[in-house]
Amino acid sequence: MVGAAAASRVEMRGIAKHFGETVALRSVDFVATRGEIHGLLGENGAGKTTLMNILSGLYRADHGEILIAGEPVVIRSPADALRYRIGMVHQHVELIDSFTALENVLLGREGEKVWLRTDRHRTAVEEVARRFGLGVRLDVPVKDLAIGVQQKIEILKALYRGVDVLILDEPTTMLTPQEVDVLFATIRTLAEQGVTVIFITHKIREILANCDRITVMRGGQVVGTLERAAADEARLVEMMIGQRLAGVGSAERAETRLGPVALEVRGLTVAADRRTRVVEGCSFSLASGEVAGLAGVAGNGQRELAEALLGLRRPAAGAIALAGRDVTRAAVRERLAAGLAYIPEDRIEDGLLPSLTLAENLMLGLHHWAFARRRLFDRRVARELTRQAIAEYAVLARSEDARAATLSGGNIQKVLVARAMALARLTRGVVLVAMNPTRGLDVRATEFVRTRLLEFARAGGAVLLISEDLDELLQLCDRMLVMYRGSLVGDFGRKDFDPYRIGALMAGTGSPRGA
Amino acid sequence: MADSTATAAPLTRRIVVEVLIYGGAVCLAALVSALFIVAMRGDVLVAFRTILTSSLGSLGGIAQTLNKISPLLLGSIAVMLGMRGGFINIGVDGQIYGGAILTTAAAFALAGLHLPAVVLVPTVLLAGVIGGGIFGGIPGALRARWGVNEIFVTVMLNFVAYYLTEYLSTGPWNDATSGEAITLPIPDAAILPMLLPQAGAHAGILLALVVSVLIALLLTRTVLGYEIRALGANPRAALTGGINIPRVTLITLTLSGALGGLAGAIEVSGYHNRLILGLTPGYGAMAILISVLGKNRPLGVGIASAAVAILMVGSDSLQRSVKLPASAGFVFQAIVVLCVLLVEARSAARRAHTE
Repeated sequence: MVGAAAASRVEMRGIAKHFGETVALRSVDFVATRGEIHGLLGENGAGKTTLMNILSGLYRADHGEILIAGEPVVIRSPADALRYRIGMVHQHVELIDSFTALENVLLGREGEKVWLRTDRHRTAVEEVARRFGLGVRLDVPVKDLAIGVQQKIEILKALYRGVDVLILDEPTTMLTPQEVDVLFATIRTLAEQGVTVIFITHKIREILANCDRITVMRGGQVVGTLERAAADEARLVEMMIGQRLAGVGSAERAETRLGPVALEVRGLTVAADRRTRVVEGCSFSLASGEVAGLAGVAGNGQRELAEALLGLRRPAAGAIALAGRDVTRAAVRERLAAGLAYIPEDRIEDGLLPSLTLAENLMLGLHHWAFARRRLFDRRVARELTRQAIAEYAVLARSEDARAATLSGGNIQKVLVARAMALARLTRGVVLVAMNPTRGLDVRATEFVRTRLLEFARAGGAVLLISEDLDELLQLCDRMLVMYRGSLVGDFGRKDFDPYRIGALMAGTGSPRGA
Repeated sequence: MADSTATAAPLTRRIVVEVLIYGGAVCLAALVSALFIVAMRGDVLVAFRTILTSSLGSLGGIAQTLNKISPLLLGSIAVMLGMRGGFINIGVDGQIYGGAILTTAAAFALAGLHLPAVVLVPTVLLAGVIGGGIFGGIPGALRARWGVNEIFVTVMLNFVAYYLTEYLSTGPWNDATSGEAITLPIPDAAILPMLLPQAGAHAGILLALVVSVLIALLLTRTVLGYEIRALGANPRAALTGGINIPRVTLITLTLSGALGGLAGAIEVSGYHNRLILGLTPGYGAMAILISVLGKNRPLGVGIASAAVAILMVGSDSLQRSVKLPASAGFVFQAIVVLCVLLVEARSAARRAHTE
């Protein structure tokens, strides 16, 4: 158990870090003791990941010191951190897809200079896996494994390198509820074996379920460190955001009134190539006023479904109708004109024009209709719309002429949401397809975007919310569709929401078809 | 206004930084070139002075430099336009020949009509624009329809245009009295008017400048220009924005080719007054370097075109004055480009490091 007498394993004192003009951390103190599960809680942008990137050698602090067993040390690189047995598993799995689990674990530690003899190290790896209860198949290429298993391999890789301070950055983001349970059990085993686990998250429920001690950060500072026994949800929320937020209550949505069908999808099939179908015979319809969630583990065809709806992919079969108009063969622009708005999944890859200005980014899609003289790009109109969006969405930017590449991830996301909403306003949009619209946003911005989605529905639009964050879907949606391997395997009304049943369907183990 | 001062300060700082970067790169290039000249047992100061005096020190030199700027500027704007849309047009040379061929053809075909110059000159220039447009439109159409990489197509079309020119200049249109791969002269009424008649500068430079300004306006003030830039910045985002990518692709590459075609038309109508093999001494490759040096911005491309023109004209006389081979000029150009790219990459790396 963790007591006051427990010796510190790592200690960070007065850590400060700034990026350009942004202060990421100001004089942060942090102590983790041996064998504890230490939750590091805070909004996105609170500085949790930055602090741990400093501990794991990815960044260097501007000020402050790191102490190991009371002695100050200098950590310049991840290799240095490894020397002090500190390792970090990042939010997105960083394994080599085509390598087997064993090859990934051994990567950089093969031993021999010339010949790769993985078999010689197999027993050592197996021994570590056994000790920490990380049963994984070592000879399967990583790409064939579920995300939860890939994460285990990342952990195994760190442990094989002798890590006993293991930092996990938002490890549950991509996992199903079942996989989360497995992860938590793994973490507990590690702690019992004496490994210090630092668990970064913004989800209070996970912290309470899992951690021995909790450090809460806000705005680049530590608000406080609590023992688990002293923590409860209300207290943590208050520490995290400094004030109580009026949440988006389910009561508001109880009065949802469904209107006519806004989006009708029949037998939609999308082929990745001649043999594989990534979306298989999906049928559903959305009524105006409805917020429907599409749940699924990443890579089960949600993205392709969304892209087929927007017209980025040509369906192999099936039909799509927007407000009664068949758009199955229509170009993207015609679909936008018919009232479809889209918040893309990957804001950098699919959304942003990095070398163009903020105003020019906001106009993408709107530019077909926004200008009085259709062929001339009226910069005054663009600036005016952008100024509105900046004010309304609290986008942090130097001006509407700032290059989009200079914006932070959260601000880019706000711009994309603002763009979709502005487009919907211009075209009297009826359907909003939003993929992970709140990913990377802080709590306030997340609430703001969610409120916008609900408002869109209340104003008579239909929202298809595609998210890997099941909590978000459970909170926001009137209805939940579940996708697994390209097929819709579940359709639940709000009263039938059951995270474990939905989770089982997401993982492909549940009984198909909900209520 | 609060926000205008907020943007003004970093902007001036950015300009100062860029001037420093480029100034530093040019100094570095001068230094390296000086070492090179010393190694060739030449006199450094004389060499540098020769370059400047021969290109800018006399009216004739200035005229030569202006005549050089036209094809360089138009070719570079052609490359720049493509790059802004995310396309790499390696085929400016082919487009220059394509334009030159059609200009010559139009001049010969219309010779019998005895049109006045006011009509014939614009007509033959337009023919050149169309010729270049065809040579740009082919890769544009292939890319738009089937996704064929425009780099390969434009490179291949360079050969097509070159050997077509060879055929025409040695075959049907050959000037038998010359004994070279050149055609008969075009009629006088098809010749571009002079800007500085006594010095030999033709009006092509004006045309090139006007067209460059028009392209700059196209990019910044029109929806089409916006769509081109959006496509170049991120094709996937452009797609989600409902931009008709095949259409923008075809237009961009056709227009890019048309600019090269205009350069070829001006070379025929303004300078050589006939189609010759070797009409372009590699303007296409230089245009790529210039548009990179000019950071794909019209003003930068204009300045870089002028600098390269000065260097080209100036280094022609190196051989006489300093006994350096004329190709030394190309070596200097290469050194300048490398130095600018090097200094830029270094400063970009440092910026990335501090951010």
